[in-house]
Amino acid sequence: MTGSRHDPAPRLPRTAASPGAVAARARNLTKTYGRGATQVHALRGIDLDLPRGGFTAIMGPSGSGKSTLMHCLAGLDQASGGTVTVAGTDLGSLDDDALTIFRREHVGFVFQSFNLLPMLTAGENIVLPLELGGRRIDDAARERVRLLADILGVADRLAHRPAELSGGQQQRVAIARALITQPDLLFADEPTGNLDSTTSAEVLDHLRRSARELGQTVVMVTHERDAAAYADHVVTMQDGRIA
Amino acid sequence: MRAVFLASLRTYSRRYVAAAVAVTVAVAFVVVVGILTSGARSGLMDGLGAPYRNAEHVVSPEGWPSSELDPAAVIAFTERHGENASAIGRATLPAHAGSRKLSDTTTVGPIATSQVWRWQELSSGRFPSRTGEAAVDVYAALAEDLAVGDRITIGVGAAASDVQVVGLVESPSPPAQASMYVTWPQLLLWRDHLHLGSVAVRGEVGPLPEGAKALSPEAFTAERLTHVQNRVDSLSVMLLLFAGIALFVSILVIANTFSILFARRLRDFALLRCVGATRRQVVRSVRREAAVVGVLASLTGTLVGVGLGHGLIAVIDALASAVPMGAAELPVPWLLGGFAAGLAVTMVASWLPTRRVIRVSPLAALRPDAGVDARTRTGLARPALLLVIGLALLGVAMDRSSTALMLAGGGSVFAGVLLSGPVLVPRLVRIAGAPLGPTVRLAAENAAHHPRRTATTTASLLVGVTLTIAVLTGMATWRTSLNEQIGRDHPIDIALTSPTRPLTTDLLTRIRRTPGVERAIPVYGAVAQVAGLHDPIPVVTAPAAGQVARDGGVFARVEPGKIRIDADAFGKDLTPRPGDRVTVRAGDRRIQLQVAVGTGWGPAGVVAPETLATLTDAPEPRAVWIRASTGADPARLGADLDELADPVGATIENGLRTWESLDQQLQIYTWSALGLLGIAIVIALIGIANTLGLSVLERAREHAMLRALGLTRGQLRRMLAAEAVLLSLVATVLGTVLGVGFAWAACETIVKPALRDATMHIPWLSLGVVVLIAALAGLLAAVLPARRAARVSPVAGLSLD
Repeated sequence: MTGSRHDPAPRLPRTAASPGAVAARARNLTKTYGRGATQVHALRGIDLDLPRGGFTAIMGPSGSGKSTLMHCLAGLDQASGGTVTVAGTDLGSLDDDALTIFRREHVGFVFQSFNLLPMLTAGENIVLPLELGGRRIDDAARERVRLLADILGVADRLAHRPAELSGGQQQRVAIARALITQPDLLFADEPTGNLDSTTSAEVLDHLRRSARELGQTVVMVTHERDAAAYADHVVTMQDGRIA
Repeated sequence: MRAVFLASLRTYSRRYVAAAVAVTVAVAFVVVVGILTSGARSGLMDGLGAPYRNAEHVVSPEGWPSSELDPAAVIAFTERHGENASAIGRATLPAHAGSRKLSDTTTVGPIATSQVWRWQELSSGRFPSRTGEAAVDVYAALAEDLAVGDRITIGVGAAASDVQVVGLVESPSPPAQASMYVTWPQLLLWRDHLHLGSVAVRGEVGPLPEGAKALSPEAFTAERLTHVQNRVDSLSVMLLLFAGIALFVSILVIANTFSILFARRLRDFALLRCVGATRRQVVRSVRREAAVVGVLASLTGTLVGVGLGHGLIAVIDALASAVPMGAAELPVPWLLGGFAAGLAVTMVASWLPTRRVIRVSPLAALRPDAGVDARTRTGLARPALLLVIGLALLGVAMDRSSTALMLAGGGSVFAGVLLSGPVLVPRLVRIAGAPLGPTVRLAAENAAHHPRRTATTTASLLVGVTLTIAVLTGMATWRTSLNEQIGRDHPIDIALTSPTRPLTTDLLTRIRRTPGVERAIPVYGAVAQVAGLHDPIPVVTAPAAGQVARDGGVFARVEPGKIRIDADAFGKDLTPRPGDRVTVRAGDRRIQLQVAVGTGWGPAGVVAPETLATLTDAPEPRAVWIRASTGADPARLGADLDELADPVGATIENGLRTWESLDQQLQIYTWSALGLLGIAIVIALIGIANTLGLSVLERAREHAMLRALGLTRGQLRRMLAAEAVLLSLVATVLGTVLGVGFAWAACETIVKPALRDATMHIPWLSLGVVVLIAALAGLLAAVLPARRAARVSPVAGLSLD
């Protein structure tokens, strides 16, 4: 269930996940930047439950706090108040290193741009999170890379460097990389911001299939209504609150 | 465009800091060299002019320096002028303090009794005022262990005369300097040994001695100065060579700074072009930025150099007053030259990067983050050609012992390596980083992703390291070869020889207990009269000489029927020539032996054991040969052993002093070269820190993403540190290989023809230390950039644009 008090999203049929399970939970979440006259309240008390296996879109105009919300949910940024619980862990209790390791193991990211490291090949980019965690790239991992590459249609591009890939291909490689660790949460921050409409549709379709076919919890931040339409639920932000 | 130019300066000024520091250091180097040269010159000028400061005329040889004045004529000329003239010159005579022989090159000069002509400065005691008194130069007194009150016999035979030391003086004028000074009438005792170079005259000059000319003191000093000057100037040229190296390294550092900054700002430039700036306007604005950096950095460098130069002169004056350093005037040409060099270096270094700015198309601004791909095709043809030509030249140079060809070949090879850097260095970095885990591998990939930048960064360090290693290896080779040579000339460190009495076991024990003695062996023989030598000498045999000799005892292995005599110990008294057959008589036994010579074991003849057996049935200990321990003070050890030798009438031959002075010279050369190269290396390290710092800014988003993906702060810091260490290691290892190679070429070209049997000697320990230091310095260079990178939170990094 989406825990928002004002949930405008239509209820769509849910698939892979067991009903009622929650992947991430925010309670009375606040975030302020600066102090005194220049103080900015980016988040003003957010309560939110993200259902496991669901595809949730966070929508809102520029400056509404949607990116800040994502950063706090993903453990990229520390909240000023309230709690965030992901996969049963209270993120507020973790220091920077613990948070980093938590991200490495439980969260995946797809960004608008600068998604891939230019000096690594697509294949190397995909296994990067495993390498950072010091895991050996065994047969099982290679098998998973192949599976993801097949699903995302980049199997024949693995030896190429990002500069040799199209924007859509780069974004699909980024999705594969986000999925390689089987994270509890996959965050996508304006994943179609730099893409044309056809390629956008492809990428969004892949995100939705990840949720449906792989049972992956996906959270997408976007300001495009068309993109949000692919999601199971839509949370709309306005002035640091859920509208 | 002015607004853009000013805004750019404001925004990017901090990023130019490292480049500016590199220029500042190089310019300061040039200026310091200039000030030291000027100080040395004015010091020389003061010193040269000191004896003539009250003169109106200076009489000196017409064709100086190739002709001399006739001493008799000069003496007559000086006598004729009486109080109004003072001759300057000296006599070289043997001298003794009691029974102790002083240096063979003891020089005696005149000291005036009147204040007008006296140029020496009193250090202690008083000035000599009459015959029988002498003043000793303070440094000569130090070296010969003389003090006020000592009696010295100057000259030998009929010309010998005793003087008492009444004072110690400093001699500020190197050309007029002597070890000791006596009054003019006393000096005339040795008129046959006297060389007089000039006469200072007051009033009318009158008729000159034959072949002489009269100059004003200023003109005379200027004439002498140009002569000495050449040496000061050649030293400055050498120092400037190192300054040139530092400037070259700065070019690399600055060029890198500009190309990184411009790559990052390429979109800005494209945007400017979009909104209507012409190509010329953009380029001019960028070049003006470079000019501002160049002017400010060169100005700072000049000021720092002036301060440092004057400080150094003060330090030299305080620590080494024997070196004449005068108050330096500001050497304006040097200051302007240093400033111009700094500005030129900055402009040249920014030239190539700005050319890329010209090529940027306005469309680049409109493309969505096309990402300036740094991959550039680098041809291998040119570097390969340079390498081949260089190696060929080196080969010819070694064959013909041609230093010029060697330098050309070395330069060509080095240029080839530098140019192939963009291909070579990234590969080496990858290879070095591959086995070291994911963090280091990421670092290696980072470095390999910008081949040109990485190559330039390493090139700056490569220059410094290659030269350092070449100097270290070259010096080690030179030194080893010289050691062998000196080992042959001075096989025994200290030999104690007793022609009068056999030595006792007690004495041997006491010698062995003397600090600084590593090993001492008794040498057995008999005193014999060798035909052609004035006094009887010990004839000895030393089968065990190898235990103490520096040449492994080769000199002591004499064939039966021969006698080997120390040529240096007898000097001119040695009338038998090598190959002559002489009669050697010990008691009532006599034998004919063939003479061979060598040096370095004192007044004794060395023969084979069989030969000695025919001269005596009971050989007695007649000499002790001593090997000093490493680091023993030659003068002190010599004095200690002298005390033991004196009471038994034995003499000491001290070969260790030669070792010491050679050692000191080589060390001075090595350390000055290393110190000067150190400046280039420091600039190179600033360059590494700079490149790393700028790419940290450039890659902020990459780092943020990596942090988001799960790279911890520590891992990020380690990654950047690994990148710096990989860069400096690759540069150092490559530099070591090149440096050793160049040293080998130099050894074959220069050392081998000069010293037979020279062999290459690689100082592994020093090389290891250099590699280690470079790696640590690389680590140090990464500290600041890495800290800065790790401070940025992932969110802040991601929102950067």
